[in-house]
Amino acid sequence: MGAMVVKQPQPVTIAFDVMGTDHGPAEVVRGAAQLSLDSPHIHALLVGDRTLIDNALAETKHNGERISVQHAADFVGMDEKPGEALARKPNASVAVAARLVAEGEAQALVSAGNTGAGVLACARHFQLIPGVRRAALATVYPTRSVRGAKEDPFSLILDVGATVEATADDLVTFAVMGSQYARIISRNERPKVALLSNGVEPQKGPPRVVEAHARLSEMKDINFIGNVEGIDIPKGTADVIVTDGFTGNVCLKMLEGVHETVVELAQYAYKESLRWRAGLAMLSSGIQRIKDITDWNQYGGAPILGFDRIFIKAHGRSKARAIANAGKVAAKVVANNLGSSIREGLQK
Amino acid sequence: MSLPDRIDPRPPRRIYRWDLDKTYLQTDFDSLKDLLRTAFQKAHEKVAIPGASALIRELSENGDSRLCIVSGSPKQMRAVLEEKLKLDGVRWDEFVLKDNIGNLLRGRFRALRGQVGYKLPAILESRVKAPAEAEEVLFGDDAEADAFIYSLFADLIAGRVDERVLSQVLEAGGVYPDDAERVRAAWKQIPVADPVRRIFIHLDKLTPPAHFTAYGPRVVPIFNYFQAALVLLADGHLSAPQVLKIAVEMVQTAGHNIITLSNSFQDLLRRGLPLQQAAVALSQALEGPNKLLAAMRPMPDILSAFSKRLAALGTPPPPPPVQAVDYVSLIHHALPRNHKGRTKPSP
Repeated sequence: MGAMVVKQPQPVTIAFDVMGTDHGPAEVVRGAAQLSLDSPHIHALLVGDRTLIDNALAETKHNGERISVQHAADFVGMDEKPGEALARKPNASVAVAARLVAEGEAQALVSAGNTGAGVLACARHFQLIPGVRRAALATVYPTRSVRGAKEDPFSLILDVGATVEATADDLVTFAVMGSQYARIISRNERPKVALLSNGVEPQKGPPRVVEAHARLSEMKDINFIGNVEGIDIPKGTADVIVTDGFTGNVCLKMLEGVHETVVELAQYAYKESLRWRAGLAMLSSGIQRIKDITDWNQYGGAPILGFDRIFIKAHGRSKARAIANAGKVAAKVVANNLGSSIREGLQK
Repeated sequence: MSLPDRIDPRPPRRIYRWDLDKTYLQTDFDSLKDLLRTAFQKAHEKVAIPGASALIRELSENGDSRLCIVSGSPKQMRAVLEEKLKLDGVRWDEFVLKDNIGNLLRGRFRALRGQVGYKLPAILESRVKAPAEAEEVLFGDDAEADAFIYSLFADLIAGRVDERVLSQVLEAGGVYPDDAERVRAAWKQIPVADPVRRIFIHLDKLTPPAHFTAYGPRVVPIFNYFQAALVLLADGHLSAPQVLKIAVEMVQTAGHNIITLSNSFQDLLRRGLPLQQAAVALSQALEGPNKLLAAMRPMPDILSAFSKRLAALGTPPPPPPVQAVDYVSLIHHALPRNHKGRTKPSP
């Protein structure tokens, strides 16, 4: 019997938009530095203010062989209007990073900055995959159930804001893209795909949802389980939930709001009464466990799907660990050739 | 007139001082298990850090240099270490190893782990025998105290450190009185000169480069020996084809590629090292008819990768400022790694 050959992963370069995040450039640099230590096959191309990047790198343990820097003088702030900001600042870090990815200097882009600017920069520099009319912004949400070989507690929701008015065609495309993405990232060969509606019956919802339901039901390569309601999102009934950008965004913001309110209530309870504090202390290991399982830092980021290049959008509040994980997600998507999988999925 | 019965070798124009473990050899001795494995390794099992032997060979090719090795390995390992160096085609002029058994028998336990009391007198005594005009380049690593000891050595012989500071350092470094006396005796015999051009610190533990800022631009932390070769090309110690030979060895034996080499190049540029001329020389060498460089092709990709890394930075950063080294405040760098004083934060 021959010796087992361990296949070395192909080198991949990920462009990181270093600027415009809530925690500042140093946090992104630290994430990329961590990646350079953890993942020998991933090279980080850091795009942003060179002096800030170099100062942060000099103080951080990293492997200099796996990091390079592209200076970009400007950046788009979180509170800026994307279109206006990019018009005013053509050399903003996210635009430069997207251009470098389009030119092949890197294979994917990771940004924790202004989401709209990221999407717009990609739209300007990347091409839509043939068969895709509009791109979709995805996000992940922690659920009660796990999925795939990785026992991933996160489900994927798309679109959450890129395409406000989606047609039935768009919804079908989103379902194919989301399914292919979940298959790669969660190592889930047959992810359960559902349409978000106001009832589980096929005829429920606006005409575009009803039409998409009918078409998805006939697609054998998609594990379509029908419609789900809002209540099913945190339950994890589906692995991929498909909706238009308007509904998805409202839904996402509501989920975030509920989460923040629960945390605030727990803090209030902790301060208000010794008995409640004792109760929370008794539950602390369980709470920590839930926190670990649902920690979005471990997921890193979510993709913009539909372009021929990869863009992983990390949360604006991402710390180094989340940034490093976003880089790993991007590298995994590149290695598994998501673009080709989507193209093939759309042709079926 | 009769010919002399022997011809003395030319006095060296350049002296290259090397540490061995973690500088030349990939060595793990962070745990007792690692230590034992290292102690019983045969010569052919020992692995040199990629590019190190090629760099030493290329430096010695110029013919007027001396290779002096001072290692913290015990004297009992001499045979196996010498065999390893010979296997790698490395020829040395001095090879000093630590007398750990002697220290143990004499109850000098501080000397077992201490570096200042061992390396500083050893390299000063070696310098006594060198011509005053001989330049020096030193190679160490970030595992122990090499940046501190090499810098102190350089500043002592350049007359930038006085007796008072030296005494403070030797005392704080836990140096035994006889070793301290050896330091002073050797120092007094060395004519004042400023021969140390570079101190390369191999980042075996990937210590953040800013840790070495306090030693000034003479100390260059390096992630690999291609970086050392680039700086030595800029400093006039190597030619561009020699640097390419080192790069070829790293590509062929250690999995380096255009990305890692061009990133390494840019890393130095970002730290303010003036390598633009070195880059031009490399480009010209790559365009030459050297058959060895087939391993580095396709050339347009290499040239393009280096040019892009250069252009990506916009205006090159200024070189770091030259500054006096405050050895008394840096003494914690010279203490053994697990010494409680080592954790003292930098000011």
